[in-house]
Parts: sequence; C-alpha cells; structure tokens
Amino acid sequence: MPVSYKHIAPFFSAGQNRVSRWFSYIGLGVGVLLLLCSIQMYININHLLKDRNPKTDGFDYISVTKIITNENMAEDHSFSEAEIKELKGQSFISDATPLMANKFLVKATGGSALPFTTDLFLESIDNSFIDTIPADFTWREGQDVLPVIMASDYLELYNTVFAPSKDLPQFSAKSISAVMVQIECYAANGEVYIFKGHVVGLSDRINSVLVPPNFLDWANKKFGNSKKLNPARIFIKTKDANSPELLSFLQQKNYSINKDKSKFGRIKQVLQAIVSGLSGFGILVILLAMMLFSFYLQLMIARSKDNLQLLLTLGYSPKWLSRTVAKRWVPVYTIIVLSALAATMLFQYYFQHFAMKGREELSMIIHWSVAVVAMLLLALSILINYKMVSKLVHKL
Amino acid sequence: MAVFLIATYEYHLTKNIALFFNQEQQTISDVWKQDVIFNKAEQVHIVAPSGSGKTSLIHFLYGLRKDYEGSILYNNNNIKDFDAEKFAQWRQQHISIVFQDLRLFTEQTVLQNLEVKRVLAPYHTESKITDMAKRLGIESKLGKLCKTCSYGEQQRIAIIRSLLQPFDFLLLDEPFSHLDEANRMKAMELMNEEAAARNASIILADLKQIDYFKADRVLVV
Repeated sequence: MPVSYKHIAPFFSAGQNRVSRWFSYIGLGVGVLLLLCSIQMYININHLLKDRNPKTDGFDYISVTKIITNENMAEDHSFSEAEIKELKGQSFISDATPLMANKFLVKATGGSALPFTTDLFLESIDNSFIDTIPADFTWREGQDVLPVIMASDYLELYNTVFAPSKDLPQFSAKSISAVMVQIECYAANGEVYIFKGHVVGLSDRINSVLVPPNFLDWANKKFGNSKKLNPARIFIKTKDANSPELLSFLQQKNYSINKDKSKFGRIKQVLQAIVSGLSGFGILVILLAMMLFSFYLQLMIARSKDNLQLLLTLGYSPKWLSRTVAKRWVPVYTIIVLSALAATMLFQYYFQHFAMKGREELSMIIHWSVAVVAMLLLALSILINYKMVSKLVHKL
Repeated sequence: MAVFLIATYEYHLTKNIALFFNQEQQTISDVWKQDVIFNKAEQVHIVAPSGSGKTSLIHFLYGLRKDYEGSILYNNNNIKDFDAEKFAQWRQQHISIVFQDLRLFTEQTVLQNLEVKRVLAPYHTESKITDMAKRLGIESKLGKLCKTCSYGEQQRIAIIRSLLQPFDFLLLDEPFSHLDEANRMKAMELMNEEAAARNASIILADLKQIDYFKADRVLVV
C-alpha cells in the first residue's frame, strides 16, 4: 500500500482553527462568485447594448462638433487640419471627413409655385459618407442647376410644420425631386447669383442641406468673404458608436456627438465601470480569503512543526509532504469553485428568464469564458496553496 | 576524519574530520582527525565517554548536522552536498537510526509511530510489527499512546522502528541505555538478524563496550 495522506494525517493538529478555515472557504466562494457574475454581467451588457442603431454597411456615421459652453462661446469652434488628422488616427475611428459649410449668404425661394423665402445654409461632404448618392448629384462650373441632398427630417418638418402654417403644398419623398427651388447666393459685393436648386435625394444619415463639394469650394471662393474655411462639423465613421474608447476619447477632447447614437454607449460605459469595480472587489475578496487561508496554514504547520520535522528526519521527502498536504485541499477548492460556477449559472438563468423576460439576445447559459475563468481560478488556488504549503514545509 | 560509502556501500570519514569544538580531546581519538572507512556488512562499535562527541558523530553520519570540518562521503558522494530530497531518499533506503533521544511521536499510538515509518519504504509487512513487538515484550503497548510508555519501552519502539525499512547501515546511539540485560540481548539479537538479512552494517555507539555486540572493529573516540 503506497504511503498517503491518511498515514500522516494524525501528525497534524488541524482542529483548533476551524473558524478561520471556514471563513477563508466562504471568502473564496464569495470572491469567485462575485468575479464570475461580474464577468457574465459584463458580457450580458455587451450583448444587450450592442447594435442598437441601424447600420447600413456595418458602420455608424456620427457628426462631431466642439462643445460650446458659456465660457468658450467667443472662441473658434472649427476643427484644424491637425485635429481632423488626430481623429482619423484613432483605432476606433475608421474614417473622418469634414462637413464644409457655406461662407456667404444663401437664400431659397420657391418662386410662384411655392411662395416662400428663407435663409438657407449649404454644406458639402465627401460622397462616400452619404448614404444615397443619386447619379445626378454632380455640378460643373457654369451649370445653373444645383443638385441638393436634403435630410429626410427636413422634409418631414416642412410637410408637418412649415407647409400647413404657410398654406403651401406638401410633398412626398418622390415628388420633392420634381420641385425646383431658387437658390440665391449673395457675394460680398452684393451681387446675387441664382441657381436652380433640385432635390435629387434625401438622407437619413446627415441632417443638412448637401450640395456637391466642388460647388461649395467654388462658391466659397467666389462669394465668400471669410478666409477661415475650417469646418465646424466632422463626420466620423466607426464600427461602434457605443464603444467606450470612442466615448472617452470624445469626452476627453471636449467634443460633442449626437446623444441618441451614443446613449447606449454611455449607459454601457457606466454599467461596465460598475461591473469592473465589482470584479475588482471580487478579486480583493479572493486575495483576502487566500491570505486568511495562508494564516490558517501557517498556524497549522507551526502547531505540527515538531511532528513534521520528525517526519522529515525519518526520511519523508519535503516535496512529497508538501504535495500530499496541499492535495488535501484540492477537493475543497474544487467544490468551492464549482459551487460558485453553478451559482453563476443559476444567476444567469434567473437574470435572463425573469429580470430580462427571456430576451433572445441574451443566453440562458453562461458564456464559455466564465467557465474558463472558473477553471483558471481553480488551478490558481491549487497552485498558490501548494506553493504556500511547500514554502512552509521547506522552512522547517 | 571523513566517512565515505562507495559503490559497495561504505562511509569514508576523511582524515581531517573534526568537531568544531573540543579539538584537544580529539587528538587521541580513533575517529576524529583520522581517515576512517565503514564498509557495508561490517559491525563497528564506537566507544566514547560522555562529551567526546559520540552523538555528534552519529548525527553527522545521518546528515542531521553539518558543523564539522572534513568530509563524510557516502559512495564517494559528500553528504554535505545532498539536498533535502536526496536526504529523504537516502534515509528511506540506505540509512536507519536509533536516536539517543528516541524522537518518537509521543501524542500518537505506538502502532502509528511504527506504521508511519514502515509505509514509507515497506520492507516488512504490517504483521511483522506485531512479531517484533512480541519479541521485545511491548506487544500490549501497540494501541497505547507513546507518551504513556516507559522510557525503556519507548527505546524498544525506536529500535523496532529502525528495523522496518531497508538499510545498508544502522546507526545506534546508546540504544540500550534504559533496558535491562535480558531486553538488551533480545534487542541486539533482533537487530543482528535484521542487519544480516540485509547484509547491512551496524555502527553502535555507546559509553562503554557492549559484550554481546560482536563487533568487527572497536573504535575509541
């Protein structure tokens, strides 16, 4: 019969210190449970708050501006070349392009069919950022028809607010293209240039009145009185508008974005911070439990010191002794970690089933990474325990 | 002096082995500052008065202490170079000992004391423990706590314990100090039998020469 722990068990006096031993077991269980639940919640949050915005090509397009506050109202809020370059350089931003605006006075009138006049603004952006580009969204110098892409929201506002109040006709998305609006550009010297504005498309993505970039370049040079041509709005293209990295970068730079697009990101940021804090707390509890257990081990080995020394004198190997003593706790650690894992599974089931009312994007079973972390924690506990015992035995 | 054991199992104590203390007394010794070889199967009696370093020598030979000059070689390997694992393996297979201070687990039963040694490198079956205990008259004590046994009984427990493992050398440090003549002879007989069965050597250190130990060599320390 090979020698085993059973043969040396009577030589350990372990009994007196039950309280600290049980406290360390409970501490370890609670710590592991906290950590596993936090990881699972982190994954849940990611699943629940992902893809809340419709994406046409897998990207979110968001307009970025500088935050205007009471203190900085008087400052320039346009983006410099370097700032645009910096935006482009971020790993979480796939592309960035400025929205150029008109630097001269523009007015729109409807002519006899649509008796209204309004001040207007024009913007242009790189075509790749526009969701729908009609073939006729082009302009050449000398051309008096100016193609315009208008935000669909504006058409809605016109139809629901502007047209009824002025007794003007309403237009569908299709019929708007038939309407020609007169666009008057006022040069610095008072000269007026008139173009025939033609709505060639509607955009869900960009809230603006867009004209071809080459037109705006030309017009700003021809009619503009300002040398400053830096854009005040930048459009960015990103894989995830809710990415915490993007949000914290923008926050840090004092840039503002469409809150609707990123509100889940902000919630996610806060929730993830809470959950990360909870994991940190879990790790702390595990460390405290291990420390308590190490005190218990030290006390146990100190109490059995004479016996252990005699066992070594009689020919027991320190390595065998450490391994055999440490092995005694393998089933204990296994039970603790597996119980915590089972509790996490139960928690996930109840969370999905009751708290989240069975939402499909959430799984009823835990994520595989949680099980992997549990196994790693088990291996780590066993290893640390062995190292602690071995150190104490070799010190004898 | 240096002791060494080579392939044929021997201790070789090199010439300059000496205690760090009591150097004057060692000048007239057969062991200290001498070149001594203990061969396997050889029965060696070390006779030494109190304070001459007898127990120190036994502890040096068992590797418990290293505070000596010179070298003790076992099979040409300096035992000072052994690490804890090597000592463990060596003490399981090659060297056995009866300490002068016995070193028993006093809070455990006699049987637990013997069994913990036997299972480490089983040379005998469990029933052999009862046989030996019967021969030395302590059979009735096997289930008793060690601390309740007399010193003489404890001495016999330590002797039986030393015989439960394989060994090439059996080191005895005043093993009979608390035994009467009849028990001494029984114990010596048992040890001789066990050593012969293993073709092993007995190195017996005592205050005076013991007649019933048939030594091949007597060294005066």
